[in-house]
Amino acid sequence: MSRLGRLNRGETNIDFLKVWKRTLIFSGVLVIISLLSLFTRGLNLGIDFEGGVSWEVSAPGVSVSEARSALESVGEGSAKIQIVGSDIVRVQGPEATPEHEAEVRQKLADLAGTDVGNVSVSTVGASWGSDITKSAIRALVFFFIAILIYLSIRLEWRMAVAAIVAVFHDVLISVGVYSVFQFEVTPGTVIAFLTILGYSIYDTIVVDDKIKENERLVGQSGRMTYGQMTSLSMNQVLLRSLNTSIVSIIPVIALLVVGAGIMGAVTLEEFSIALLVGLVVGAYSSIGVAAPVLVWLKEREPKNRTIRERLAAQGVDVLHNAPRPTGQRLLEVEDQSHGRRDPGALDPDDDAPVTDDDQPGAPSTTTTQAPRPAAPAPSGAIPPRPRKKGRKR
Amino acid sequence: MRRFRGYWSLIIIVLVAVLSLTYTLASGNKPLLGLDLQGGVSVVLQPKGTPESSSIDEAIRIIRQRIDALGVAEPEITRQGNNILIQIPGVKDKDRAIELVGQTAELQFRPVLAELDPSVVTDATTTTVDPGASTTTADPTASTTTTAPSNPTGLSPDVCKTGLTGEQTNREGTTYLPQCDGETLVSVLQVGPVALTGGALDTARATLNGQTTKWTVSPVFKGGADGIGLFNAAAAKCYAGDATCPASASGPGRLAIVLDGRVISAPTINEASFQADQIQISGNFTERSAKDLATSLKYGALPVELEQQQAQIVSATLGRDALHAGLIAGLVGLILVSLYMIAFYRVLGVLSILKLFIEGALLWSVISYLGTNNGLALTLAGITGIIVSIGVSLDSNVVYYEHLKEDVHDGRTIRSATDRAFHSSFSTIVKADVASLIGAALLWWLTVGPVRGFAFYLALSTLLDLLTSWAYMRPVVKLATRSKGLLRRPSLLGIPAEAPQPTGRRTAARPSAGATR
Repeated sequence: MSRLGRLNRGETNIDFLKVWKRTLIFSGVLVIISLLSLFTRGLNLGIDFEGGVSWEVSAPGVSVSEARSALESVGEGSAKIQIVGSDIVRVQGPEATPEHEAEVRQKLADLAGTDVGNVSVSTVGASWGSDITKSAIRALVFFFIAILIYLSIRLEWRMAVAAIVAVFHDVLISVGVYSVFQFEVTPGTVIAFLTILGYSIYDTIVVDDKIKENERLVGQSGRMTYGQMTSLSMNQVLLRSLNTSIVSIIPVIALLVVGAGIMGAVTLEEFSIALLVGLVVGAYSSIGVAAPVLVWLKEREPKNRTIRERLAAQGVDVLHNAPRPTGQRLLEVEDQSHGRRDPGALDPDDDAPVTDDDQPGAPSTTTTQAPRPAAPAPSGAIPPRPRKKGRKR
Repeated sequence: MRRFRGYWSLIIIVLVAVLSLTYTLASGNKPLLGLDLQGGVSVVLQPKGTPESSSIDEAIRIIRQRIDALGVAEPEITRQGNNILIQIPGVKDKDRAIELVGQTAELQFRPVLAELDPSVVTDATTTTVDPGASTTTADPTASTTTTAPSNPTGLSPDVCKTGLTGEQTNREGTTYLPQCDGETLVSVLQVGPVALTGGALDTARATLNGQTTKWTVSPVFKGGADGIGLFNAAAAKCYAGDATCPASASGPGRLAIVLDGRVISAPTINEASFQADQIQISGNFTERSAKDLATSLKYGALPVELEQQQAQIVSATLGRDALHAGLIAGLVGLILVSLYMIAFYRVLGVLSILKLFIEGALLWSVISYLGTNNGLALTLAGITGIIVSIGVSLDSNVVYYEHLKEDVHDGRTIRSATDRAFHSSFSTIVKADVASLIGAALLWWLTVGPVRGFAFYLALSTLLDLLTSWAYMRPVVKLATRSKGLLRRPSLLGIPAEAPQPTGRRTAARPSAGATR
């Protein structure tokens, strides 16, 4: 069976217990590098954060030195001049009087051989960028708190904490990437980072939901530790995680390559680099950071510690993946657990099987399950169409 | 009708999408492009200190008045927290626009040459004027103008509404300026050149005179020649009744305080020389009018001191280029991601792309409607948000399809797995989408400017994803998995083949056929 085929069927058997040790070390190193770079190199803050004037004009074929010599006469010879995108000349200088600003605008228009109305000017007070940053940080703090509360209610607090740790890790490393490579930080970048937060959480929730679904494998059967169960869950949702990340990353890459690279839209570049960095780090962290942190938190619980100790005493290898239960056994376990399950103990809408009376082939899977306690979706309003008796599929 | 059971939501959502799109196209609603996409001027003003909410609204009203006087189409002036965001699309005189909104108006002190009855303006076309109308202004010069056949002032009757043009304020020479009470013209004054400006003022306050229980306004000038010196020079002339500041009927000459081309007060100068902080303007002030005058003296016309945080002039060409780049990049991304989904999930992949189209139709309608009716502009940040939301939407499909595959793989029939997988994956989707919504709501609530646009579109598309996931994806996948043709060849669905239906217990061994790769 090819590796891809196994991935496609969720049958990979990657030993995440081992992988996590590496990812945690890897993440630790990245975080340290990020912090070091932040403290030594700092960030390349754009004009929006320092205050000043920025002129932009589309001037095909004009070089930086040509622009510089043209601007010397208006005293902007030492200004920061870049060619951004494919043919846009961008000049950045300190704050200026409106007259001076208009002078430079005229000069640039002459240089590009165009009307003065085609020159864009952006004047920024020194406090504008810091205002945006301040409000972004405030939004970040509130976001952490809100997500912590929300996930604690919908899943459980340990998962919430693990998710927040992962998001924090994402933000730190994304900022670190900007510091190491000295990409310019603009308000667009800040926006993009904020978007990433929701994304990172999305992946983590998909994984956590699966873990919740499999949790009974630990308690009821006692065949595996929480860590082993989580590793199993990771293997099962691996393709899901990969595909959600890939379909999110493809449009962003298109933005970066087509929008910014080929067509030269500067603002798109600012957005898409930050989005790409954040998406990649976010996809990685939901597997490589959120999960091991969750396992660490969960295995400290007395219940899970007892299971682990018992299994270890029985001579079961608790440091590597447990033998994989087959699909058949999964279903059986699920039924047992649902039969005995304390209705209040677990998330009610987590994964109760639909009462499904058209399961002639699998009588063992249809227990006397009461109707779903609380349907999560309005879909409960439309009951499955009863099958005609005796019809074969 | 029974055969439609469970599919109503599908029929409804498709109908809604088609109808809303038709309506949008028929009514000519179009998304309103933001400044970064169509060019124009954008200014962000931030008040200093912590002003009252009402004074910011008042400032917005005054700024709007000024921009209207500029005669541009559809200026957009919005309040974001305490900040004021002014966006003027496609304006021609960009510098003038920025100057108008970005700076507080200049406060001028000008000697009063004569006071005219407002009827010279309001009744300019009629030659007979009721002299009784001039009783409110006891200025004898008013009567001389009643014989004037035409309006010498050049002011229009609704000058208090429209404001003055730059020429009419004529800083260096003699001109006619209106004195308004709200939008009513109270009086017209002929004034001389500007004697000094608000720059000479340090501060001003309204005080209640304990003895007379009357409100007075006390301006405090800066010391030195540029402050009180200038004022005293003007005051001396007015007190003496110099030709440049002739004596009025009520005594010595008057000095008009002019703001935004309007006379806000014209006190009589009762002394030749003043101490910088010993000046009082008295008159029939109420508490309100005294405080208003003090504020005007302090800050210029705006009731709060505003600082220009950011000003942007976007060239129309650069904006258009950015729009094109965004659209083409979005299209390329859409095609690539469609190919990926179809390669992986075959028919189900196609269905997920159709879901994108339904969401797209709804999104376009909402954006166009809000753009046309509520002035919500689509910015580049918004376009990025929408492109990103392609991923959000497809994520839901991936979560569902993978769950479906897993259930079938674990031995369920495709049919039963369709419902079961939807329930658990929809629960996941709701959790994840609500987390995104929380993020978007916080961004909208706590930030300003471009971030808000982004948050709005992210939230909007997340909501649409929730809606279409339930109303479209659930029934359409059900339809697909009930189709006999597709069930015979599950690989077309990107789902592994069903486990054979044994009579007894299934064995652990499963056939490996039917996988997509």
